[in-house]
Amino acid sequence: MTQPTAEMNRSTIHALSPVQNCRDRGRQSFIFHTKRQLGQFARATLQAQFDDTPSERGAVTGDDKAALLETHPAFAAWSALNIGSQQQMWRALEDMVARQATQMNAAASELTDASSKRGSLQTDASLVMPDYFANTAYHGQPGGYCLDRGEHDWHAGALQEAGGTLYSRGAGTGAKDSKGQAVVRFLATTFPDFVPERVVDLGCGYGGQTGNYAVAYPEADIHGVDLGGGLLRYAHPRAEALGLPIHFRQACASATGLADASFDLVVSNILLHEIPREMLEAVMRESYRLLKPGGLVVHQDVPTQRPDTPAFQQWLSNWQVAHNDEPFWQSFAETSVPDALATAGFSSPDIFESYEPQIDGPLVWYMVGARKS
Amino acid sequence: MKEGAQPADKPVYFSDPALQALYQMVLILGEELAATREQLHALIALCEEGRVPSADALEAFVPDEQFDLERADWVARLLEPLQQIAAAHERS
Repeated sequence: MTQPTAEMNRSTIHALSPVQNCRDRGRQSFIFHTKRQLGQFARATLQAQFDDTPSERGAVTGDDKAALLETHPAFAAWSALNIGSQQQMWRALEDMVARQATQMNAAASELTDASSKRGSLQTDASLVMPDYFANTAYHGQPGGYCLDRGEHDWHAGALQEAGGTLYSRGAGTGAKDSKGQAVVRFLATTFPDFVPERVVDLGCGYGGQTGNYAVAYPEADIHGVDLGGGLLRYAHPRAEALGLPIHFRQACASATGLADASFDLVVSNILLHEIPREMLEAVMRESYRLLKPGGLVVHQDVPTQRPDTPAFQQWLSNWQVAHNDEPFWQSFAETSVPDALATAGFSSPDIFESYEPQIDGPLVWYMVGARKS
Repeated sequence: MKEGAQPADKPVYFSDPALQALYQMVLILGEELAATREQLHALIALCEEGRVPSADALEAFVPDEQFDLERADWVARLLEPLQQIAAAHERS
């Protein structure tokens, strides 16, 4: 068994990691460099067009400038290449995973069935998937996060980890980046004396971020909750392979089935922009219910709500919304999470929000949460 | 048993949809060429080292950093016409 390490990030390799062969490496490198180039083109050429749009052309607001930019002849080409690149990314990753399905199956079974394992997995075949979850192929991932072909299927988790890594590296994020570590660092800075005994990660997906809480709080009891059985059947053996004692449970983040007031720390990583508003509000209520008095909730997400977001960055985000299967990005941008926390029961003076730099990348994350009185 | 969700249809940006399809074809060709370049690079490197370029040796081969710079360079050249479109528009 691998000993837990602080290096839980986009470079983490474990027993279920698919191995690139020579052709995979060529294909994925091409996709990576294409994404990098298209990003640079947007930030340099398209942004210059956007920012330099003369006011005599009638473009005063960001929307005016966006409308003009979208008539630019390079915009159509850039868009077509971006769409094509995302589609080919998923095909390349699917091919890599499918080729190694037998070995990955064996590794997953061995780790899941091991008598020495330290965590657990509780799936629920009768759980009804909410429509929004069943109908969204997030980021274009084939089958979405709800893909579940039966009691041994872990493909959704394998694709989520591989796709998230290649996509974010192509977008400029470094190999050492970790959203969970960003939350841990934020907590250590803002609440230096806080050491949780029980932690739950809502919408934990393949468990990549959950692992950071297990490393940061080695004495704590760590739980991960997600709707996707195909995600959790990957998350559980992955955590075992990394020596991380995590208890995974298939349930909705808004109705976890876990006991009232039983956690010191409730977290989520980039969950809120992937759920509809009423679900976000329900997740805030569930966060309140799960916390012990004095406990903390921290939700980390994309910084769409930052008031000083440049208009071009906003336009790029909107492009993502329209093209990358992000149907709830806009509603998230228009929702006040602090208000939702207050409505859920948290006292306004106990609610906080902050923008924190990535661990290894150019972006900032939105951190929003509260302490339960 | 859930087969899962399918990605939403994407917008077409050209009055002739074949043009958008052509961009996808170029990407697929680029990807295939990248895979072939990778294999060829490994093959040549193994031969130069006097090693037998077996399937296992090809799979185990890890290219050096210089090769990644070459990958980046040729993808940049492939996408260079985007800059030309933008430059022509600026002049117009």
